[in-house]
Amino acid sequence: MKDFWHRFRANKGGIIGLALLAAIVAVALLAPLLFPGNPWKMVARPFVPPFEGMKFPLGTDTVGRNVAAGLAYGGRVSLLVGLVSTLAALLIGIPVGALAGYFGGRIDDLLMRVTEFFQTVPSFALAIVIVAIFQPSVVSITLAIGIVSWPPVARLVRGEVMSLRQREYIEAAILQGLSTPAIILRQILPNAVSPIIVMASLMVASAILLESSLSFLGLGDPNLMSWGYMIGAARTVIRQAWWLSLFPGVAIVLTVLALNLIGESLNDALNPRLSRRRS
Amino acid sequence: MRGTTFMKIATRIAARLAKAAVVLLAILVLNFLLIHAAPGDPAVVMAGEAGATDDVFLAQLREKFGLDQPLYMQLGKYVWDVLHLDLGFSYRQQMPVFDLLMDRLPATLLLTGSAFAVSLILGVAAGVLAASRVGKWSDTLISTVALLFYATPLFWAALMGVLLFSVVLGWLPPFGYETVGSGFTGIRRALDIAQHLALPALSLGLFFMAVYSRMTRASMLEVAQLDFVKTARAKGLSRAVIERRHILRNALLPIVTLAGLQAGQLVGGAVLTETVFAWPGIGRLMFEALTQRDYNVLLGVFFVSAAMVIVFNLITDLIYGIVDPRIRAQ
Amino acid sequence: MKRILAAVVASFLAVAPSLADPVAGGRANVVIQPEPPSLMLGLVQNAPAQQVAGNIYEGLLRYDTKLNPMPSLAKSWEVSDDGLTYTFHLQSGVTWHDGQPFSADDVVFSADVFLRKTHPRFRAVLDHVESITAPDAGTVVFRLKSPFGPFLNSFEVGSMPIVPKHIYEGTDFATNPANNTPIGTGPFKFAEWVKGSYIKLVKNPDYWDQGKPYLDEVYWHVIPDAASRAVAYETGQVDILPAGSIENFDIDRVKALPNTCITQSGWEFFGPQSWVWLNNRQGPTASKEFRQAILYALDREFIRDSLFNGLGQIPNGPFAGSTRYNDTDLKPWPYDPEKAKALVKASGYKGEVLKLVPMPYGETWMRLAEVIKQNLADVGIKVEIVSTDVAGWNQHLSDWDYDLSTTYLYQYGDPALGVSRSYVSGNIKKGSPWNNVEGYSNPKVDALFDTGAGTVDPAERKAAYDAVQKILVDEVPNAWLLDMGMPTISRCSVKDLVTTGIGLNDGFKNAWIQK
Repeated sequence: MKDFWHRFRANKGGIIGLALLAAIVAVALLAPLLFPGNPWKMVARPFVPPFEGMKFPLGTDTVGRNVAAGLAYGGRVSLLVGLVSTLAALLIGIPVGALAGYFGGRIDDLLMRVTEFFQTVPSFALAIVIVAIFQPSVVSITLAIGIVSWPPVARLVRGEVMSLRQREYIEAAILQGLSTPAIILRQILPNAVSPIIVMASLMVASAILLESSLSFLGLGDPNLMSWGYMIGAARTVIRQAWWLSLFPGVAIVLTVLALNLIGESLNDALNPRLSRRRS
Repeated sequence: MRGTTFMKIATRIAARLAKAAVVLLAILVLNFLLIHAAPGDPAVVMAGEAGATDDVFLAQLREKFGLDQPLYMQLGKYVWDVLHLDLGFSYRQQMPVFDLLMDRLPATLLLTGSAFAVSLILGVAAGVLAASRVGKWSDTLISTVALLFYATPLFWAALMGVLLFSVVLGWLPPFGYETVGSGFTGIRRALDIAQHLALPALSLGLFFMAVYSRMTRASMLEVAQLDFVKTARAKGLSRAVIERRHILRNALLPIVTLAGLQAGQLVGGAVLTETVFAWPGIGRLMFEALTQRDYNVLLGVFFVSAAMVIVFNLITDLIYGIVDPRIRAQ
Repeated sequence: MKRILAAVVASFLAVAPSLADPVAGGRANVVIQPEPPSLMLGLVQNAPAQQVAGNIYEGLLRYDTKLNPMPSLAKSWEVSDDGLTYTFHLQSGVTWHDGQPFSADDVVFSADVFLRKTHPRFRAVLDHVESITAPDAGTVVFRLKSPFGPFLNSFEVGSMPIVPKHIYEGTDFATNPANNTPIGTGPFKFAEWVKGSYIKLVKNPDYWDQGKPYLDEVYWHVIPDAASRAVAYETGQVDILPAGSIENFDIDRVKALPNTCITQSGWEFFGPQSWVWLNNRQGPTASKEFRQAILYALDREFIRDSLFNGLGQIPNGPFAGSTRYNDTDLKPWPYDPEKAKALVKASGYKGEVLKLVPMPYGETWMRLAEVIKQNLADVGIKVEIVSTDVAGWNQHLSDWDYDLSTTYLYQYGDPALGVSRSYVSGNIKKGSPWNNVEGYSNPKVDALFDTGAGTVDPAERKAAYDAVQKILVDEVPNAWLLDMGMPTISRCSVKDLVTTGIGLNDGFKNAWIQK
């Protein structure tokens, strides 16, 4: 652990990313304390420009809602969607990859066909259709993002499991008569966890991007303030009120940046030999 | 020797095509079911567009488009038709889906193709540059910019691009495929289209440009550590030759894989880009078809874009075979 | 106040025919949004189809901004004293775009055969008609079963487009290949349609109204993104922005551009009114007190000023201000959250979450839903927004699966054409988002609407409609939001574009460009 931290720290980017993310998470968590009430409340006249006083440091939007409050509450939604949809993708991708990699042969063939199927359908288009069908809500959005982003996880896990499967200690475990689930869960997966963590941190980032893209097309959850929604709503007034699309855009860029920096440092720290996978 | 190699490649292609056909059929069926699960009766939507409606009108519409048949009948008919290369008739556009797609496909191919080329060329070039100056300020600059592009939402980049280059600076047209009614022909027209293409292709390519440059850089640095490069260095080959012949060629392998995957992403990204830039391609067609419940068009777009991805993957495969001698020998 | 005054002056300027002599030539570039499904106006009558094809086809009449009939294909007309016989005398020397002569047979065919099969709104008018005959090639006679007050308001090009008999007789109308190259009698001919890009119309040199049209060609540009449409105007690619082309937030900026004129005229015939559907059948909205509370809770002035750019009027009830027989003595309900809270309490509301299905017609309508939600939250009503696309929204309304939903509907200038359909119990039918969706049912209201429609005597009609408005305003079957202002923005050098109550829908007949 100490060793890990030492290596992580060696990468300046990782530290910057961690600090950034910590700040963003803190603001998101403290939103109800910083901005009591709800972010939809119309608190002032519309289109108050930013930096014109302490009351609304980032200005107000088209109907007079506090942009700063929106950003704080929006962070909760963006982070939550990013996190949960990544978990969903892992929950699908890891079993599929593990089974395919462990058993090989026909099962591998079948599961890889399914994976291929999901990689052949344009993922963003599929996400749009799923959200439209189940009606835009935080659940359908999370689900859609999870469904379109698991294939890379499956491929990664399959590759790891395949190579681990050949190791001597696994052969030994099989000879000892350990059950297959036990081998997969206790012997193989723990050893494949590093690349999965790295990939997951990057997936949270792309999930946040995906959520904002859906919101931009009007497919966000209408009851929740999220950054993607804020840009989608601000896009029509981009020339009267540049700040409405700028600030949430910057928030997304910073968050995604932080997650990427962390992901890279994790990669350097956890599996230097795999740094090639970094993209 | 040459003949057997060719045969091997041909067999591989045939096997892949067979698999692809199965995947394509599965896509067809699944999408059909998925799309029909969506709430919203196309007849009601069409009637709604007419601004008024009554039962007679709805029944007429349903019968006309076979919507009064049970679902499995509709599915069966659809698959049968597609096997005969008939993608059906668009409810809303009043024309065969195939013709509609063929109308729109060139614009999307031009857009995604340019975005692909731009991202690949600029991305790899930036990556090579960064790798050859690792640790210097130019490397830091390229890496930082790439990191920023990587974290920027596509639509946001597009909007900011329009704001800067069209509204503030007035250098580029803000949207559209060409200047309508200009009567341009030949070179003049090509230039006109190229001007309209610049912003959409750049903003669509931005993300992957970042991906390629980061990947090239990482890949080159890794390959540079490998034994055969060290040997080449020991042999006294010049730096440029080593970089080009030994490092870059090997570093390109993962990039080729990624490029194949990018194809699918591009079609999806085209939905956003084509919406912002009013680009008359299939991405926009897809989004419109979805909101109008124009099922046949939606299915057609999925079909064509999936087919495109498969073709791209096939090409990737072939290129892979050329770049990496080990695969060819297998 | 200043803004209203300015708008009034602007609209006056735009409607008054210009004093200069028109010059021929030039091209108009217009935004069309969304792209129409077809230009065969007999088959498709949605707003964009009417806007383009209204210049290809013609109706028997046009209507001025006070909704008085004007000649179009009919040069004059008479109504018998009993209100049962309408005789139209047609223009002479009219030809179809393919050169064939136009005659009364075409009118009879259009009304009696073609539109009877394809046009739901006209079919409702035909219910009152007993026979349609052509005593000679220049005359058409409509005989009614019983007097129908607004009958003379049913002859504009979107309500009753005249289609060519020689092309459609005996064919399957919907699949006739000629639908792709529409043939009308209007001032412009169809030339080219590049789907997803533009529609091109060219001047009809043989137009019956000598000397018109003035323009050589009209291009309708398809630009799917509202911001791009505004940019298109700024960069000079289009010269005319029909109402709804750009987001309301953009209007102030665009209208301040040089050489830019704005008018709210040209929509009097349609008189769009926006309201919140309240599901009268079930849940808290079944209670009259609760519905009244909603009307008090909505800050309609804020909604108009911040979402609709100050355009439009707060309605005093179900009749839009431009609709005939609007009872001007009625005053709009005030914004009064305290009263609303009291009424919510009185209604026995227990905190149920209401489902609000917003009309998905763009950003303004999404913001509207958010403001409604917040307005209602302020008086203790819980609302959840269910967002859907157009298809889903239609479905929710058609299946009565909602508590609150936003919409706007045209009133066609007359309560019998555009108002009664949303309140009479005979119109409670699943499957349509345009009828009595809220499920309001009151025999007294039904009877009064019948009386108002079944006579041509203005005084009788007024009495019936005054009574109806009193009842409806008290019962609040729907929460009326706004008589919408519909601004048409164009370069000031484009003259005589909006001269009638139908506005752009047949506006290019008179339009010309000042050099």
